[in-house]
Amino acid sequence: MRTPPGEPVPASESVRRAPLRPPVTSESFASPLHDRRAAAWLGLSLGIAFTTCFATGLLSHVIQHPPGWFSWPSRPAGLYRITQGLHVATGIAAIPLLLTKLWVVYPSFWTWPPVRSATHAVDRISLVPLVGGSLFMLFSGVANIAHWYPWHFSFPVTHFWVAWITIGGLVTHIGAKLPVTADVLRRRGRGAGVEAGSGGRSESAAAGDGLSRRGLLGAAFAASGVLTLVTLGQTVRRLDRLGLLAPRRPRTGPQGLPVNKTAIGARVIAAANDPAFRLVVGGQVRRRLSLSVDDLRALPQHEATLPISCVEGWSSTATWRGVRVRDLLEMAGARAGATVRVESLQKRGGYRASTLNEQHAADVDTLLALDLFDQPLHIDHGFPVRLIGPNRPGVMQTKWVTRLVVR
Amino acid sequence: MTTLHSTTRGPPESDGPDGHGSPGRLFWPAVALGWAVTAVGVWGMISDAARTQPGESARFVLGAAAVHDLLLAPVVVLVGWALARAVPARARGPVQAAVMVSAVVALFSLPFVRGYGRGPTNPSLLPRNYGAGLAVIVAVVWVTAALAITLRWWKARARPQP
Repeated sequence: MRTPPGEPVPASESVRRAPLRPPVTSESFASPLHDRRAAAWLGLSLGIAFTTCFATGLLSHVIQHPPGWFSWPSRPAGLYRITQGLHVATGIAAIPLLLTKLWVVYPSFWTWPPVRSATHAVDRISLVPLVGGSLFMLFSGVANIAHWYPWHFSFPVTHFWVAWITIGGLVTHIGAKLPVTADVLRRRGRGAGVEAGSGGRSESAAAGDGLSRRGLLGAAFAASGVLTLVTLGQTVRRLDRLGLLAPRRPRTGPQGLPVNKTAIGARVIAAANDPAFRLVVGGQVRRRLSLSVDDLRALPQHEATLPISCVEGWSSTATWRGVRVRDLLEMAGARAGATVRVESLQKRGGYRASTLNEQHAADVDTLLALDLFDQPLHIDHGFPVRLIGPNRPGVMQTKWVTRLVVR
Repeated sequence: MTTLHSTTRGPPESDGPDGHGSPGRLFWPAVALGWAVTAVGVWGMISDAARTQPGESARFVLGAAAVHDLLLAPVVVLVGWALARAVPARARGPVQAAVMVSAVVALFSLPFVRGYGRGPTNPSLLPRNYGAGLAVIVAVVWVTAALAITLRWWKARARPQP
């Protein structure tokens, strides 16, 4: 039998042993790992992980829906690949940390009496947006990268708003738990020598009894590490062979590149293959252009090696060739510093058009690509012509482009 | 449930929101700020109801907490309780860690292994055999645990206790 750790029983605890106690209370949980030091370390890690997810998610949101004060640069070309890769990888790594944290503090769920004071009530009710929101964010995120939609709401919109609900819960929780977390971390720093002695003893005593606290934290972080290692191959090509649970492989797909929206899914097959296809450059221009695919191929061609960086966290670098958007703008007599709305043959859907801000429109690597890896684009990659530019989310690399509207 | 033997020790945060009985100076400002941020999220959900389907979304958020607290967590606690009794002391730690890691990886792998999102038109999505991948990961985890147990046994033999 396990001997209970030698902490004194608060007097109030024994007073509270009233006849009305339910069969399960927070004291029913025997494991010494339901402990505030484990909670503090996991809480700190989750705080960092969720803040990273929130910041990178918010960034991805304002890149796609830029407010007036925000302008996303076109350089460095691979920046979005990193921020969004980090968003997805951090969310995945947070899964074991969240589940372990919830297990460590689970006895508190059965606290008796359920509410002791106004402060305690507020503290507990604030856990609803935090716990429900955290589980929702990680579940919906994983489901989305697996293209699994067992719901009717829009994933990006709902994931965005629930993030605010969750972060609000996190702010309240940090306010409530900062003193105890700081206390735990401070004690570790101050009494390192003493702690090593007594801590070492309790660690080995606990070892015969199952996982020690260090063992529990180690297992939680090991699980995070395993999940990271077996999924990161979707964006880091050198880890592709380890990517046993990665939803994508950077070199698997038509022409060796993954596809998110297919031509069938976008219902553009007929329009994309129509010989009457024309790319129109209109809007605020001096000369409206209407160009066939042959016309486009007759213009100066430029090559760029750029990543496709999907919001779902996968990315893959490819070599593209086509016409510079800035050359087309010059041909059409657009003003300097113009912005461009790029429209697809796709008739419907939230991603049928994207906007090139001033810097993206002027970048020498922003192309209307006709070729991928020296071959004409596969229809799933946007045949006959697609947008590809540096430092853009994949959903803003519009495929099957039929119109540039200059503003 | 009385078989879950009671200890005299309280749960980690039984003394108050900060574990010390007093809420701390930051508590009420954090409550005000936190609930304001949460309110922004709720307002956003409601103001874009066509796309967020507030009723359904709320069911998912609250349902996630309920499923965890009333179903998943009790199952984990019972499994942990059984493990603590069924597994010999020397192997217990590595076995608990291996169960933990394999369970989390298996849970994560579910939508990939089941291939819910697979469609006939996009072979680049979920291109691997995820069931086989999961089996490899779980095998590696348990081989590691077996090595850890062997190492402990070896150490205990080499250094006999007085």
